Amino acid sequence: MRSAILVLGLMAATAVGTVARADKLDDIIASGTLRCAVVLDFPPMGSRDADNNPIGFDVDYCNDLAAALGVTAEIVETPFPERIPALMSGRVDVGVASTSDTLERAKTVGFSIPYFAFENVVTANVNSGVTSFDTMRGKVIGATAGTYEAIAIEEQIAAWGGEGEFRPYQTQSDVFLALSQGQIDATVSTSTVAQANVKSGNFADIAVVGPAPFATDYVALFTLREEYGFLNYLNLFVSQQVRTGRYAELYEKWIGGDLPDLTIDGVYR
Amino acid sequence: MFNYTFHWHQALRALPQLLEGALVTLEIALLSMVIGMVCAMALTLFRLSGNRFLGAIAITWVEIARNTPALFQIYMAHFGLGNFGIHLSPYAALLAGITFNNAGYLAENFRGALKAIPETQTRAARSLGMTPLQAFRLIVVPQMLRVAFLPMTNQMVWAILMTSLGVTVGMNTDLAGVTQDLNARSFRTFEFFAIAAVIFYLMTKAVTLLARLIAWRLFRY
Amino acid sequence: MIDTALTLNDLLFLAKGAGMTLAVTGVSVAAGTILGIAFGVFRTQFGPWWSMPLTFLLDVFRSVPLLIQLVLANAFQSIAQLGWGPFVTSCVVLSLYTAAYCTEIVRGGIEAVPSTTRRAARSLGLTWGQDMRYIVAPLATRVSLPAWIGLTLGVMKDSALVLWLGLTELLKASQTLITRLQEPLLILLICGAIYFLLSFPIARLGGYLERRWSPND
Repeated sequence: MRSAILVLGLMAATAVGTVARADKLDDIIASGTLRCAVVLDFPPMGSRDADNNPIGFDVDYCNDLAAALGVTAEIVETPFPERIPALMSGRVDVGVASTSDTLERAKTVGFSIPYFAFENVVTANVNSGVTSFDTMRGKVIGATAGTYEAIAIEEQIAAWGGEGEFRPYQTQSDVFLALSQGQIDATVSTSTVAQANVKSGNFADIAVVGPAPFATDYVALFTLREEYGFLNYLNLFVSQQVRTGRYAELYEKWIGGDLPDLTIDGVYR
Repeated sequence: MFNYTFHWHQALRALPQLLEGALVTLEIALLSMVIGMVCAMALTLFRLSGNRFLGAIAITWVEIARNTPALFQIYMAHFGLGNFGIHLSPYAALLAGITFNNAGYLAENFRGALKAIPETQTRAARSLGMTPLQAFRLIVVPQMLRVAFLPMTNQMVWAILMTSLGVTVGMNTDLAGVTQDLNARSFRTFEFFAIAAVIFYLMTKAVTLLARLIAWRLFRY
Repeated sequence: MIDTALTLNDLLFLAKGAGMTLAVTGVSVAAGTILGIAFGVFRTQFGPWWSMPLTFLLDVFRSVPLLIQLVLANAFQSIAQLGWGPFVTSCVVLSLYTAAYCTEIVRGGIEAVPSTTRRAARSLGLTWGQDMRYIVAPLATRVSLPAWIGLTLGVMKDSALVLWLGLTELLKASQTLITRLQEPLLILLICGAIYFLLSFPIARLGGYLERRWSPND
C-alpha cells in the first residue's frame, strides 16, 4: 500500500515535471498582444505624426509581426538607452528598434538575422566648411550615444590623432537640433535618418555632404538571449518579409530608392 | 527568479575610466560652487542695494533657479541659448546650468543668514569709523558665511549630484557620461551604474567629511 | 504675434505631460511622507545606534544622483523580472528618495519639541501614543512644514528625470514637440513657465508659513 502511494506520487511528480514549459512564443500567442520596443525619435524608422501617434518603418514592421502571430501589436516607446531594460523586465517582448547587432551587445540579448541595413552618411552644417568625410577632421562631430556610427566615429577621431571633438547626444533629434544650431559641425548618421531630417525642412542650414566609409550597419530584431523558439520565428519572419515583397513595399513607403541587400557576401548570416 | 548573470569582471575593468570621469565631476562641481558663490554674493548685494532694477534681476534669477528643474536649466543653457547662436560646449553648458542653480539657492541662503546677524553690529562697526563696505566685508560677510556654511555644504553635494545631468547635453567625460557611454556599448546597465553609484556615494561622503573638518578648524571658539 | 506651428492639440499634449509630472509627484510625495514619518519616529525612538542601518540606507538615497538611482532601479527590476512599468519604477524610486529627505525633516521636527514639554505630558499621565499625537505632532508639524513644502517642490522638479525611463512627463513632452516642430526656444520657455506656475505659488505659501510660524522673526 505504502509503495503504491509512493509510486503514484512519483508518477504525479514526473507528470508535473514533464509538462512543457511555455516559452516566450507561446506566451505571446496566449496573451494576444505583442509588445514591441520602438524608438520614436528616429525618423523614418520611428516617429510621431501630428496627433502624436507612433508611425514609421519599425512601427509597421511590428504590426506585420503581430499580424503574422495573429495577435495585436502594442508599441512601447523606448528611448535608445531604455531598450534593453524594457526587454529584460518583460515590459516588451521584442525590440524592433533599429538595433545594430554588435558582438558586445549579443553578450546580453539575442539578435535575429538583420531586418534592415543602414549606410552611414555625413550631414554637416552648411557654415561649418565640412564637405566630405575627410574634411570632418579637427571639427566637432556629434552622434547618438552608443550607436554603431557613434562608436565608429569616436574611433575615427582617435585614428586622426585625437583632432576634433566627439559629442554623444542621447537622442537623434538632439543631434540634429545641435547641428542646425551650429553647436556641432557635422554628424555621421544612417542615410535614411539624415535624408528624412533634411527633407523635413525643420532644420535650417543642414545638408548631406557625402558617404561615411564605415561597413554597412546591419540592424536586427532582438529578444531575450535564451528564447530560441522565438528567435527562430523572428528569423523566419524576416526572411518571409523579404520573400513576400513586404520589405520592399515598406522600404518604398518610408524611405524610397535602392533597396538595401540584407545578405552578406561570403558568409551565412 | 534571476534570468541574468552579472558580468562584474568586465565592468570593473572600466574602473580607471570611471575614476577619471569622477575627477571631471568633482572639477565641475567645485568650479560651479566657486563661481556660484561669487554670483550669489552679487545677487545678495543687488537685493540689499535698494536699486529696483538690480533687485528685480536678483529676484528673477533666484526664483527661476529655485522653481524650475535643474535638468531644464542645463537643457536651456545648451539648446535654448544655441537658438541665439550662443554655443556653449557640453562642459560649459553643464557648468553654466549648475552655476545658475547654485547661485540661486546660495543667494537665498545668504539672505537667510544675513537676517541672523543683528543690525546693531553694522551700526557698531560704522560708529567705529568703518565705511559701509568695510563693515559689510569685515563684519557681516564672515558671520554670514559661518551661518550659511552648512547649507553651502549641502549645495556642494547637490552640485556633485547635478553633474550627472550633463549626459542630456552631450557630456561624455564626467562620471555619468562615461558610465552611460560604457552602458550604451555593452548594454550592461546594472553593473556600470552600480559602480558609478558607489563612486558618487564615496565622493559625497568625502566632501561632507571635509566640510566638517573645515568647519571644525574655522569655527571653534 | 509670435509665428508658430504650435497648435492647441500640442498645448494639450504639454498639459498631459504636466499631468504626468503631477501624478508622479503626488504618488511619490504621499508614499514618501508616510514612510518618512515612520522612519523619522523610528530614528528618534530607537536612538542613533539601533537605527544605524536605516540611517545608512537612507543616506545612500541622498548621496547618489537621482538619475543613477532611476537607471539602477530600472535595471534591477528588469533583472529581477518584476515587470514594473516606468511609472511604477519611477514612483518607487522617487518615494524612497522623498522618504530619505522626509525622515530628516521629521526627525528635526520631533527633536525640536523640548524634552521638558514631553516629560511634562507623560507625567500628566499621557501615554506615549497620546504624547506623540497631542503634543509632539502639532508642535513638530509647525517646525517641519516649510521644509516639507520645499521637499515637495524639489521632488516635483526632480521628477523631470523620469523621462529617462521613457515616461512622457512635462519635459519629455516638450522634447517630443521640439523634435517635430523645431522651435526649441518657444517650447522650452512654455515648459519652463508651466514648471514655474506649478511651483511658485506653493513655494510662496511655504515662505509665508515659515515667516508666520517661526518664533523669533
